Amino acid sequence: MDPVLTTCPFCPCGCGFYLHVQDGRTEGVIPSEGDPVSRGRLCARGWGSHEAPAWGERLTEPLMRHEGRMRPVSWETALEAAADSLVATRRAGRTIGVLGSARATNEENYLAVRLARGALQTPHVVSCLTATYQPLLDGLHDVTGRHAGSGTVADLEHCEVIILVEGDVAVTHPQVAGAIVRARKAGCRLVTIGAVASQMTSLAALSIASTPGRERAVTFALVAAALAGGRLDTATIVAAGASFDALRRSLAEAEVSEAVARAAGWYAQAQRAAIVVAPLVADAAELRRLAGDLATLAAATGHLDRDGSPLLILPARGNLRGACEVGASPNFLPGFAPLSDDGAGSRLEGVWGVPPVRETGLDAAQMLTVARGVVIVAEDPTAVMPAGALAREALRRMECVVLLDAFATPALELATVVLPIASFAENDGTVTGLDGRVRQVRAAVRPPGKARPGWAVLAAMLGRLGPATEYHGAEEVRREIARAMPPDIGARWREVDEARVVPRAERNGGRRPSLGPLAPCEPIKPAPSVAVWDGVLDWGSDPLVRYSPTLCRDSAAQRKLFPGGFVELSKEAMDRLGVRQGWPVRLKSAGGEAVAPAVMRADLAAGVVVVPFAFRDALAPVMGGHGVTSVAVERA
Amino acid sequence: MDNLFLPRVARIAAVRDETPDTKTFDLVLRDGGERRDFTFVPGQFMELSVFGIGEAPFCFASSPTRAECIQTTVRRTGLLTDAMHKLAAGDEVGLRGPCGNGFDVAAATGKDLLFIGGGIGLPPLRGLIWNVLDERDRFDKVTILYGARTPTDLVYKGELDEWARRGDVELHVTVDRGEAGWTGNVGMVPTLFDRTELRPATTLAYVCGPPVMIKFVVQDLLMRGFSPDSVISTLERMMQCGVGKCNHCCIGHRYVCRDGPVFTYRQIREMTE
Amino acid sequence: MQVSSARTIGKERTGEWIGRLIENAEVVAPTAAQAGDVIFRKISSPVEVQWGSDNPLFPPKQVVLPQTDPLVTISRGADGLVVEPVYDERPRVLFGVHSCDVKGIDFLTRMHAYDLADTAYLRRAAALTSVSVACITPCPLGFCICCDAGPFLAESFDVQLTDLGDRFLAEVGSEKGGRLVEPSADLFRTAEAGEVARRHELEEAAKRAFGPETCHFASAMRRVSVGRVSAELWDEIAGTCLECGACNFVCPTCYCFSVKDQGRDGHWVRCRTWDSCQFRAFTREASGHNPREAHRERVKRRFFHKVSAQYFRRDGAVGCVGCGRCVKVCLGTTDMPAVVAAIRKGAWHG
Repeated sequence: MDPVLTTCPFCPCGCGFYLHVQDGRTEGVIPSEGDPVSRGRLCARGWGSHEAPAWGERLTEPLMRHEGRMRPVSWETALEAAADSLVATRRAGRTIGVLGSARATNEENYLAVRLARGALQTPHVVSCLTATYQPLLDGLHDVTGRHAGSGTVADLEHCEVIILVEGDVAVTHPQVAGAIVRARKAGCRLVTIGAVASQMTSLAALSIASTPGRERAVTFALVAAALAGGRLDTATIVAAGASFDALRRSLAEAEVSEAVARAAGWYAQAQRAAIVVAPLVADAAELRRLAGDLATLAAATGHLDRDGSPLLILPARGNLRGACEVGASPNFLPGFAPLSDDGAGSRLEGVWGVPPVRETGLDAAQMLTVARGVVIVAEDPTAVMPAGALAREALRRMECVVLLDAFATPALELATVVLPIASFAENDGTVTGLDGRVRQVRAAVRPPGKARPGWAVLAAMLGRLGPATEYHGAEEVRREIARAMPPDIGARWREVDEARVVPRAERNGGRRPSLGPLAPCEPIKPAPSVAVWDGVLDWGSDPLVRYSPTLCRDSAAQRKLFPGGFVELSKEAMDRLGVRQGWPVRLKSAGGEAVAPAVMRADLAAGVVVVPFAFRDALAPVMGGHGVTSVAVERA
Repeated sequence: MDNLFLPRVARIAAVRDETPDTKTFDLVLRDGGERRDFTFVPGQFMELSVFGIGEAPFCFASSPTRAECIQTTVRRTGLLTDAMHKLAAGDEVGLRGPCGNGFDVAAATGKDLLFIGGGIGLPPLRGLIWNVLDERDRFDKVTILYGARTPTDLVYKGELDEWARRGDVELHVTVDRGEAGWTGNVGMVPTLFDRTELRPATTLAYVCGPPVMIKFVVQDLLMRGFSPDSVISTLERMMQCGVGKCNHCCIGHRYVCRDGPVFTYRQIREMTE
Repeated sequence: MQVSSARTIGKERTGEWIGRLIENAEVVAPTAAQAGDVIFRKISSPVEVQWGSDNPLFPPKQVVLPQTDPLVTISRGADGLVVEPVYDERPRVLFGVHSCDVKGIDFLTRMHAYDLADTAYLRRAAALTSVSVACITPCPLGFCICCDAGPFLAESFDVQLTDLGDRFLAEVGSEKGGRLVEPSADLFRTAEAGEVARRHELEEAAKRAFGPETCHFASAMRRVSVGRVSAELWDEIAGTCLECGACNFVCPTCYCFSVKDQGRDGHWVRCRTWDSCQFRAFTREASGHNPREAHRERVKRRFFHKVSAQYFRRDGAVGCVGCGRCVKVCLGTTDMPAVVAAIRKGAWHG
């Protein structure tokens, strides 16, 4: 069989490659030099992406819970039960919601939105990771008028300066890390901001230490330093007028270190300079302000929208940008149309045949707490929600949990109806890369057993809950997405030509960014230590990793060695506490305390304790569902 | 032509608990012809598989002089060993091998033999020990030093008693931490050296155990005058194929699965990577 | 090469020849793929062959060593488990391959025959015949000339074609190669002395076309073999490696693998799957202990296996055919020529 060109299902870089198919199985990966994103380069995950569909523990027939046990049923029965139970829950006056997913395609996420805001008439549709990304887009929008950054990963290679707000991009977004490595080889000056001495930090010309969750202290200072240093974009400043003075005044209290001043100077003076924000653990308001700072920095120095000066916000997982864009976000209709936008409302009504619900939705955590019925599209909330154990409890309390997934994830235990869908390599559709390119994923093999493509299953549910809805293929769904969106964003969905062309339609044609005062930056309260989740999330819980014999090994080893979890401490901290590898330490926060084995990590700052996301539940009493918290650490 | 990856099918004849996390399996090849033709040397290893789970290397814990069954002793540490621990008599496993070089029994003829085992390091020595005891006349003095973390972690307790009773073997056992009812030695393995008379010039020392034990024991032996050529150990590495192809077990250009797993200390010291 | 053994075939007749090959074997050749790439795959018509393309980024090594390679099937029978070997002995022709890849497959075959013979591999390789096209112009990143793997081959080939404009000169280098040419003798004619002379001129010109800055293995070999590369240098190099494994996967001479059981419920296929020595888990033991936990140890391992004198003596060649693919696929900057230069110069500029 011919190799099948598709897009990587893992991180949002959106690398293209071919799947090699033999005897109905995905047997290997062939890199594509012609692919505009990967250009023939793939990371370990990309190289291993053929494995999980062939090797994984798959769902092959619809299941229904009957007297506590899951039993196979026909598609007809399962779909009817799913629709009936959702309607019954809603009629009983209880809240229902729909969870989209960064693991699902744009088509699946869009149909999830249409199912919620259209057929089920509920405003609650969101993905588990929306809250980690949408606030950053909102922050950009505050300044640029657009829910998007600009530029591409490939642009990074030609930058003279790159400012990286670092989590650990070498692990989370290797294609971005690769571009940074090559840029550096070509003479680029890399500035990293972060709490962990990551691989990227070791390559940095300048690394600025920040407190976990308070990275904004640095970005705020960067804006102040850039404004103080001159070399600003005159046209932008003139256009901003009095707002610029307000901006200047808002920065008066900023504490600018020498390193920050240097970094800002490099950035402002470079012809081509980039800002990259890796996934961060911080609360939503802080994320929004941080993105606003960086957009302001780019705008004031003339880098915003300049060719060759990318501003990249990295979503944590594969299609998170796409999920948000098609409307899996509490405050927006598809294409980031505001809920109050009457034009968008009537546009959607024209497409859907019913007016969309235009109330604000709940975020994923609230939804799980409040709802009594939920449709989950290709996600295991217990694995990706910040408070996994709470998500488990919430799902257990629900009257109906309709789960669409390809793999037998732990969420299966909590479902009332299971609808088996196609996995990566079995499904047609599109995903949106971190740069906004809409990229095609293609079916290379048939889904196992009775599993069906996710878009087809969602379409069937729509048909049962409202006017008959028929799509002849995922492409028809994509064309509907184009019609459902505001025209400028929808253009990206209209023609998908392997996404060679970077989307430019949404650039601010002549519009000036709106500079204005930035929210004050609260001083950081001194704390003995700060505990923070690793920003990598838990790749090991992704079924595509878990079932891949090559990719599962690192996470499996971690789980095996420390089944009850562990925390990472710096050498300095361990010496001070007098503990050695594997010895227990007690963490105390305002919320509570917990004991876990300590593991030394050479690249940590002394006051930082890293809690692996995979083991966050073991530390739940300390973290209390927050990503960052002040703690005291002692030997247990 | 022989296929390197084709396992034979072996039936589990018996399973015995050694310690809370360690079991000994008696294996019998299902095919009579294979059973007759199967030979191995102590120190070699086999690739055992639980089908559907995978395959891993395990030492022969029995002696070729006792051919009724093939024995191996397995500590539960991972996915495969976990699956093995769930098996019972009558179940079938895959068996490839023998793999590796094994101990050079002929070269030991006429020498004093000193066996030093730590924890789960005794099983690879046990095959050689029984081989030696079954041909006792070929060798001079035989001494066995064995240590484990606690008395519970001692394997082959019945045989330890048997060896202790034999007049032609000197056995010393120690534990790092005693338990109620333990009246024997307490201390690390090297503390046993002073309980026996060593003749370094005419002795071959066989050392198996956790890396940290090997390190201290070997240091001690060298200080007591042993030559690096007469200190013999087995190496462990992550292995997949066991036949010198997959490259997981390489140390420099040496393959633990082909050039080893038995090496003299001199060979180990000279390995570069 | 003896004049008498060389023949020529007019370019207009190659289609006929390939057509006949397709009747008798699975023919794998460079073909055009969707995103503008050239990919080796099975062809069903001579027109699919992409003549004169740059060397495809993905080597044809999967014709002898598939990424997922079934070795053994296991099923439940009446008397217990039934274990059977899997052999793939389909006759195959690898058509239009470059010299370096012929040398790569030759290397892999030597490795699988060395010491214990891997019959599953060797039977598949024995059923493979290559028709290579000698490189008249070096590819931009190639350095086969440093590895004795091109641009023209003097050995290891089955059939070697040289482009003489309107025709190919065909040299037969093995019995297998002869079996591709003999039955189609009507399409070939005996080469004239001038044609053979032209072939040698082209080879000399191709060799001269390599730049001076290629890949100098000798000095790197000396240092790597005796461990005279500092840990600091390996650390620096490792700092720009993103552990993607691509250098291994596209390397024509890399063959490290893992063995895994695929399937369930009494129907299993034990598969060999490509693995990479650059992955942290490659040497991690069941206990969790990992002798190559440090990143630099893994990078060092790769280059020890590739260029050490110890392996050179064993394998008769460096583990590199100079195809330059690792330069293109490396997600970081740790490709073969860059690292060899760093070892030689004692400094990393990645």
